[in-house]
Amino acid sequence: MLMNNMFSNTKLLEKALDASLMRNEVIANNISNVDTPGYKKKAVRFEELLHSAMGNGQDLNIDGIEPEVYTDNANLSYRTDGNNVDIDVQMADMAKNTIKYNVLIARMNGKFNSIKTVLKSSY
Amino acid sequence: MSFFSSMDISSSGLTAQRLRMDIISQNIANADTTRTEEGTPYRRKAVQFEEKQKSFSDVLNNKMKSMIGNSGDDTAGEDVGAGVRVSKIVEDQSAFKKIYDPGNPDADAEGYVNMPNVNVIEEMVNMISASRTYEANVTAMNTSKSMALKALEIGR
Repeated sequence: MLMNNMFSNTKLLEKALDASLMRNEVIANNISNVDTPGYKKKAVRFEELLHSAMGNGQDLNIDGIEPEVYTDNANLSYRTDGNNVDIDVQMADMAKNTIKYNVLIARMNGKFNSIKTVLKSSY
Repeated sequence: MSFFSSMDISSSGLTAQRLRMDIISQNIANADTTRTEEGTPYRRKAVQFEEKQKSFSDVLNNKMKSMIGNSGDDTAGEDVGAGVRVSKIVEDQSAFKKIYDPGNPDADAEGYVNMPNVNVIEEMVNMISASRTYEANVTAMNTSKSMALKALEIGR
């Protein structure tokens, strides 16, 4: 039980890292397809799922939340070739995602460091 | 979703843009070529991009993982895709330019020569576009790399 509690937060961070890595892949795919006629940009849905899972007042079941890929059909007629990838938005998203990933890694390290502190404090 | 798949995706983008660049160079180099193997003037070539789908083995692997409850990736939602590829190189079928040049060995009876349907300015613009997209893919690749390296710092 103690171990469960001790690592329960890292589990959430793991999921968020997974989502972040998947988002990086999706954005890389969007960028490489910026000149593909008819391609529609893809995106990852995770924060909304987590938010709605947290909002219902019950215990949070982290294993039940999986980041998912969906096709974003916004600005369908944005370009004449039927492609709706905006390279600037994608680059900005990628920068944001990297910062988020680094933040999550830092939080993960913080968690481990506090556990380490507890383990050391006995002597 | 393997750890390096986003780098594979970016490299597919680099390959595609480099091929596009090769074709543009070929077009510019042949902007004045009036004679080819087919006997016609040079026809402008263009690349056609297409989204690359995941390979059969990847899809099967995912399905099998999710069936044994090991929650493979993408159990919900769609597949990420595997980058971009050039599906084919097409020839521009638009009309040749006719110029008056009686001294040219390829001139017809009236002294007109068919010139390639290459517009050099258009090729230059496409070249800049290819170069910018190449750079964008390099940036994406570097970002993926820095994320992969950052993950090694967990637990340090």
